[in-house]
Amino acid sequence: MQKSVWSIYKTFFKIGTFLLGGGYVILPLLQSEIVDKKGWANSEDIVEYFALSQSLPGIIAANISIFVGHKLLGLRGAFAAVCGVITPAFLAIVLIANILSELVTKHLVQGIFAGVGVGVVVLVLLTIKEMWGKSIVDKFTTVIFIAAMVLACLKISPVWIIIGSVICGILYRICCRKEAEK
Amino acid sequence: MIYFQLIYEYIKIGLFSFGGGYATIPFLYHLAENYDWFTTKQLSDMIAVASITPGPVGVNVATFSGFTTGGIFGALIATGALILPSFVIVAAVAKLLAKFRENKYVQGAIYALKPAGCGLLAAVAIGLFRENVSQLWAYILFGTLFLMSIKVKKDPLIYLGLSGAIGLVLGILKIL
Repeated sequence: MQKSVWSIYKTFFKIGTFLLGGGYVILPLLQSEIVDKKGWANSEDIVEYFALSQSLPGIIAANISIFVGHKLLGLRGAFAAVCGVITPAFLAIVLIANILSELVTKHLVQGIFAGVGVGVVVLVLLTIKEMWGKSIVDKFTTVIFIAAMVLACLKISPVWIIIGSVICGILYRICCRKEAEK
Repeated sequence: MIYFQLIYEYIKIGLFSFGGGYATIPFLYHLAENYDWFTTKQLSDMIAVASITPGPVGVNVATFSGFTTGGIFGALIATGALILPSFVIVAAVAKLLAKFRENKYVQGAIYALKPAGCGLLAAVAIGLFRENVSQLWAYILFGTLFLMSIKVKKDPLIYLGLSGAIGLVLGILKIL
């Protein structure tokens, strides 16, 4: 499919519409819409953008959309992507703003909320499976994976985890080079 | 005047909330306490509703508070202000990354970034599991969806739709 500002906007509008239960759902949605259906990017790009997005200020889903949009069509693509992903959110809130407090007390809404919460866990696991083969390829990357997971579970800010892993990656690269040169 | 305050506060949130997920929430509670844009009760309602409305929670709350204080225009500028810092910073990083992708140090960094991203996501999965899967029905639903996902790889929308529908039925039956 042709990459135009409009097609990027439309694709991200769809992603934004189904972005339920927290921003992480954007990862399986990107995998399905951008990687599998459109072939605009691959899983490696997505996991890289996700890692970077976590260490930059702002909302993850917006950051990732800007990265993907920028890859597709530069600044125009980035703008189209972020506008697309937030338009449904914007419209939904403007429509329900007045009945907000009633919605919360409704059994039905709480039911959907609880159900979707379970579905989201499965989707995030699926995304990890998808990214696994592309990012964990040897001992070094396995160690980084485990360290990042443990530190994040201990509530260390992702900013430090990403900065730390970048430093390890660069050092590893330098050391490997030296060994190869010997 | 209110518009300037909205822009100022939301640019600040966009600029200083790191780490995603619910990183914006402490800032939003701070707003609830310092302005009369929304109450803390409204904010917690908002966060609950945000999980079933499209879009990230931070965007939803920005739109909501902009809308209640300044109508559609207020909603637009609050949402725009929240996204603006991200846009500038992320676009700059994306541009640099594209330019220096062949550089060996950048490649070393990306080589480590990918498993780190995976690890962060695994931690998210653990957190979400502990938060959302605690009752018997949730374990059963989780197990079923998980088996389904191994057998057949389907559109994520199916999983969202299915789990939402089952939640709705349980809600109607008042099992939850």
